[in-house]
Amino acid sequence: MFRLLLISLVLLGLFGALIAWSAGGSESPADFTFVNRGDHKTLDPGLMSWLQDIRVAYAFWEGLYTLDDETLQPIPGVSEKLDIDPTKKIYTFHLRPNARWTNGDPVTSADFVFSWRRILEQPGDYTFLHYYIQGAKEYEEAYASWQDKADQGPAITTIPPPDYGMVGVKAIDPHTLQVTLRNPTPFFLSLCAFPPFFPLHEPSMRSFARLDEKTGRVASYDQGFTRPPYLVSNGPYRLAEWTFKRNLRMIASDYYWNKSAVHLRIIDEPVIEDSLAAVRAYMSGRVDWVSWVDEDLIGQMRTAGGYPDLHLFESFGTYFYVLNCLPTLPDGRKNPLADARVRQALAMSIDKQAVVGTATRAGQHVAADFMPTGVFSDYPSPKGLPFDIAKARALLADAGYPNGKGFPPMQILFNKEMQQHVDIALMMRSQWKENLGIDTDIQQVEIKVFGARLHARDYAIARASWTGDYPDPTTFTDKFRSDNDDNNAGWANPQYDALCDAAETKTDPAERMRTLAQAEGLLLDQAAIIPLYRYVDAYLFRPQIQGIHLDTRDMVMFQAIYKTGVNSSASSHARASTPFTPILALPLSTWGGDKRVNSFATGSVLPTR
Amino acid sequence: MARFIAWRLVQFPLILAIIYLVTFLLAWVAPGSPFERAERKIDPMVLHQLQTQFHAEHWYQFLAYYPVRVITTGNFGPSMAYLGWSVNDVLASGLPVSVTLGLIAMTIACVGGCFIGVLAAVRRDGLLDYASLAIALTGISLPGFVAAGVLLTIFSDHLHWFPSGGWGSFSQLVLPSIALSLMPLAYVARLSRASMLDVLESDFVRTARAKGLSNTRVVWKHCFRIAFLPVFSYLGPAAAATLTGSFVVEQVFNLPGLGQHFVNAVTNRDQTLILGTVMVYSAFLLTLNLLVDIGYAFIDPRIDVTGN
Amino acid sequence: MIEVAPNFSRRFFADGRVRLGGGLLLLMLMICVLTLPFTIPSGGMFYYDRQDRTASQVGPQLSPVWMAFGTDRLGHGLLSRCMVGGAISLTVGVAAATVSVMLGVGVGLLAGYCGGWIDNLLMRTVDVLFGLPYILLVVLLKVAIEEPMKKYLFHGVGPAANLVVLFTAIGLVSWLEMARVIRGQVLSLRTLPFIEAAYAAGIGPGRIFLRHLLPNLVGPITVYATLTIPQAILQESFLSFLGVGVQPPLPTWGSLAADGLMPALNPIHSSWWLLVFPCTLLAMTLLSLNFLGDGLRDLFDPKRIAK
Repeated sequence: MFRLLLISLVLLGLFGALIAWSAGGSESPADFTFVNRGDHKTLDPGLMSWLQDIRVAYAFWEGLYTLDDETLQPIPGVSEKLDIDPTKKIYTFHLRPNARWTNGDPVTSADFVFSWRRILEQPGDYTFLHYYIQGAKEYEEAYASWQDKADQGPAITTIPPPDYGMVGVKAIDPHTLQVTLRNPTPFFLSLCAFPPFFPLHEPSMRSFARLDEKTGRVASYDQGFTRPPYLVSNGPYRLAEWTFKRNLRMIASDYYWNKSAVHLRIIDEPVIEDSLAAVRAYMSGRVDWVSWVDEDLIGQMRTAGGYPDLHLFESFGTYFYVLNCLPTLPDGRKNPLADARVRQALAMSIDKQAVVGTATRAGQHVAADFMPTGVFSDYPSPKGLPFDIAKARALLADAGYPNGKGFPPMQILFNKEMQQHVDIALMMRSQWKENLGIDTDIQQVEIKVFGARLHARDYAIARASWTGDYPDPTTFTDKFRSDNDDNNAGWANPQYDALCDAAETKTDPAERMRTLAQAEGLLLDQAAIIPLYRYVDAYLFRPQIQGIHLDTRDMVMFQAIYKTGVNSSASSHARASTPFTPILALPLSTWGGDKRVNSFATGSVLPTR
Repeated sequence: MARFIAWRLVQFPLILAIIYLVTFLLAWVAPGSPFERAERKIDPMVLHQLQTQFHAEHWYQFLAYYPVRVITTGNFGPSMAYLGWSVNDVLASGLPVSVTLGLIAMTIACVGGCFIGVLAAVRRDGLLDYASLAIALTGISLPGFVAAGVLLTIFSDHLHWFPSGGWGSFSQLVLPSIALSLMPLAYVARLSRASMLDVLESDFVRTARAKGLSNTRVVWKHCFRIAFLPVFSYLGPAAAATLTGSFVVEQVFNLPGLGQHFVNAVTNRDQTLILGTVMVYSAFLLTLNLLVDIGYAFIDPRIDVTGN
Repeated sequence: MIEVAPNFSRRFFADGRVRLGGGLLLLMLMICVLTLPFTIPSGGMFYYDRQDRTASQVGPQLSPVWMAFGTDRLGHGLLSRCMVGGAISLTVGVAAATVSVMLGVGVGLLAGYCGGWIDNLLMRTVDVLFGLPYILLVVLLKVAIEEPMKKYLFHGVGPAANLVVLFTAIGLVSWLEMARVIRGQVLSLRTLPFIEAAYAAGIGPGRIFLRHLLPNLVGPITVYATLTIPQAILQESFLSFLGVGVQPPLPTWGSLAADGLMPALNPIHSSWWLLVFPCTLLAMTLLSLNFLGDGLRDLFDPKRIAK
């Protein structure tokens, strides 16, 4: 009996200690709470490539140029004044003197040089964007080969490193930065407003540097520098707290040059990775803005007759099917898809409206082309292949497979992260069977295996998607160049490459767009891909929230958000991480569930355009 | 007894080492890399740099670097998928949540399961037997994600009795711990019923009844202690699995526990985190098994554990 | 000689759990199998992969019979999918249990009979395998077996190959408990006089296994085999939830439940039929299997044999 009591007391004590340990510290409530598109991968601007990281990067840093909160066009940020020379290749940025880091240090041109140089010496996913700068690519390659040579030799190599002077980036004085481009690049200012071009505060990163033994130079920076209290940034907000898988808190920076324009003081970002859980949190008032809603859920909301707080907008990305264009299939058989007529037959026998209308419910528009239509006003989008079953059958027969006879069975590869991929694959399969008489199999794999096989071109037909990185059509057309590693189709067309190269040298912007459109037209006519639909994104936020503008690029500037009506302090149910209140003092109301703030009113379905 | 415990403790490092190596082998052989992405192909230079940084380029590099550090400093190294966080960070952040939840769930399972099992045994073949067992066996007759989802829908979405997820207040503990307790409860109920039946038909019970002891007293005071033994031995592995968290419950209720990492680390091919989570699970399992074996001696002094 | 109670068959059919469990199970099995001629051929109205785009996510209704259980987003009739799903779930369950039994009995017999270092090695291996994370093992086993299978993949055999991989992987991680139990049984049987006598008479281990040990192990084997089937089916549903289970368009009750979870349980617009029907069928079958297993365990219990 005594033993039983002892064991229960020990367990109770343990239990209490655990609760205290797991709950986290007490904090003031936030002014604004939002859910991001998944958990953060990294907060290092030189390494980040995921949307959720880029989203908060705009809160913490500011580049030479920043984005206007309504139009998302580049406007002056750290750079106050800009001089461009007549050849449009030399940009001279004059930095504003009152730009400061969150520890009070002034932002100087040396910070930009450090950051831009670092991304060439320690390459990340977006280093290629720096290739528009003269000498950048050459410097990166020279540095990498110098590194390799040093690795093979004795410690502390005697070979001199390549000279950074070859790169067209010069700090003329602490407040003047001069950049020389390789060719006139009309979207360069947009690039300057993109995280790989943000400045970095070298002194605070120094203690996290990992040195290479052979060269004595920095090989990489330990990501610890991105965690509070070490992170020093120059944007409207500073990183106050970041707990793994729980919460990220940003507080308005006192050193930001434009801090009077920043409305919200404390912003919380709890980690909710499941979309349904995020929607539930929104409905109960715990969260003010959900920045990503699963397409299945959007479909549910639209089927139910609309949800008033759901805001849909088209995204700068396309969902398509990619066909293997290599001469042989991965298992050694001859690849029937290497023949363009077969690919065209496959592309023309799909009723895209039916597929998109049934398998997707978020109101996505069918995409006839690869580069999203209507984003650039002077881009004449190609028409692509029509839906023509008779012509498709004729082409297939021409290629040697009348009525699908003799056509070897192919596999459709996709990953099972979304129900949509399954449904679309099933529909494609049944359409090809019905319209062309060919048999295909479904193969559903994990995302890592999918990625590996896609890049290794170990598939016959696969689903794919592509989102643009920067506001120019080349972010789409460059993908299918024969020398591009991201060309999953293995499609090599010299005419296409020639058109892309020609576009690079054109000075007249309209002509350049036309050439690029011609190239895209060739890609579609040769049916290396079958575009299906344009991605749709959705936000959930209440009418009291102002400053969130819907834009194709899915980016929002945090300093522009504010709340109207309801007092701007946190709603009574928005919590960060509150500690467990002691049992005895627990008011009964805390036991109740979160009350629904919004009743589910039937509203009209918001149009996507 | 002391010798027995000592011998078992000595075996710990050996078994853990073998588990480490086998897990490493399995994780290494799996196709896919933690650094690659599905849409964009990673630059070979970047890939090489990352692999060198994480000592993950060749298997011998990995084995030369990490196990030593695990043994000497208990540091499992950096996580390959969660850049900037170490595996120890991940474990330290998730473990308290999972253990708290697991303890509550095990208590519910144990108490509830034993109660139902004993009741079913005492009222054998009656309606109560079938009905109570049917309810208890729901835990192993429905997939866990269905049970958790239904609980959430009924009690949170419709009745609004409890919040829909997250971690930080008492009300957020209730639904997840019930959901987590369903499976062990089913096993405990079934085990305690079976062993209670055995005990109820044994000689000494008949003697006790003949002596005139009341039924309840006989059942609870004498039989239960012995009937509890098989349940107790099941509790070891059950607790190890429950205390380290459940992927399903954590996903449905959005909890920052450890269970999600068991699956996500495999999906992400995050080799260091896979090893970290496996080691935690194995350590729990071995320790709890040892505790169960020792506990046997307290519960029933007739059993000699050391001689097995 | 098999040491089973006298009047075993009478007691078998008299036991309530066995009757309930076995009866229900038989019913489920019959329904699923008898509807196969309707649900498999690709032309018919009840074809399990028939997609009717005009009837997308419609609730259950009786007038077109194939929509009796409702439809999913692509217009598949849930009724046919449940029927085929049942057949496949039970196949996967039974096959995985078979793999499990063969391995578990083999290892258990060997460990229990041989004793010494073989026993020690095998049981420590079982300990190590218990310590490995289940999901990692299954995913990796699937991948390892799938690679060679891919080479010999021909159309039509494709989905079947995936099923083979699936139940092999599940079976390979489910044999551990069976091995321990069988070993325990063999250890206690080994000391019985008739085994000693056979050994002394010079009868080889093979014959001892087959004619003397195995018949006495029928009890525990049957019980654990019956109890492994529902475990295997549940594991398959968990794998479907993670997306590494059976390949579409083949349905199993587990994958139907996993796919139906979000449409049925979201607070915005619920398609309840997508979850209720597969889960009811699943629960009834698994409950009946569990009841059957419990009933069999009661029957085979040596302590009750004496009565």
